[in-house]
Amino acid sequence: MKYAVLIYAKQGAVESLSDVEQERVFDEYLALTRERAVLDSEQLQPVQTATAVRVKDGRALTTDGPFADTKEVFAGFYVIEVDTQEQAIQFAARVPACRMGGSVEVRPLAAGWGA
Amino acid sequence: MLTRRGDGKAISPQEVQMRYALLIYDKPGSHEALSEEELAAAYREYGALSDDSRCVGGAQLQPAETATTVRVDDGRMLTADGPFADTKEAVGGYYLFEAKSLDEAIELAARVPSARLGGSVEIRPVVERQR
Repeated sequence: MKYAVLIYAKQGAVESLSDVEQERVFDEYLALTRERAVLDSEQLQPVQTATAVRVKDGRALTTDGPFADTKEVFAGFYVIEVDTQEQAIQFAARVPACRMGGSVEVRPLAAGWGA
Repeated sequence: MLTRRGDGKAISPQEVQMRYALLIYDKPGSHEALSEEELAAAYREYGALSDDSRCVGGAQLQPAETATTVRVDDGRMLTADGPFADTKEAVGGYYLFEAKSLDEAIELAARVPSARLGGSVEIRPVVERQR
């Protein structure tokens, strides 16, 4: 079964670490991407680089991010394939953001494109 | 640095490709409110986007109610049913595109049906790394 593992990192949690500690955290994220269960993974650039697009009356309207002042920001995701939801949750708990004041959302993929 | 496009053609040095994630935020109920024809048309558009040679990934997620949120506090794993954020803000799916510019990514994002159905598409460049 395929799951998306959505990473909501606490603002400033990584930045407040020393360079060496930041390296270690990034290494952990990277190590997770190499697990056999991982089908896809992306780290997103900071929320300041975001652009929101809406279409009204056929015209595209864009807004530059960030859009709200939130404690946690969507930082990236993994797409994994595992046998049980329990395994998906176990994977999610290893994502560094979980223990650094953030949280990870596990959601099954819908049947159809991507799945 | 990417040297080949999604369709296999080599990139000339002038063409710098960046990868953009398009995060889809649906207005709750917006797709359910469509007629069968409108819904079929919307699905064709979603399909056309994933068939685009610039598309290098994507997935549709099940609704926010199916989510489990995980935190780790003092070494203990805590789980809660439901999404991290309230349903209005839940990500419904994503695409990954290779594009030469943000403008090109915006053009693609504007084609995602959610964007004209009261939702929005958030474009975020991804952090490049060796694959």
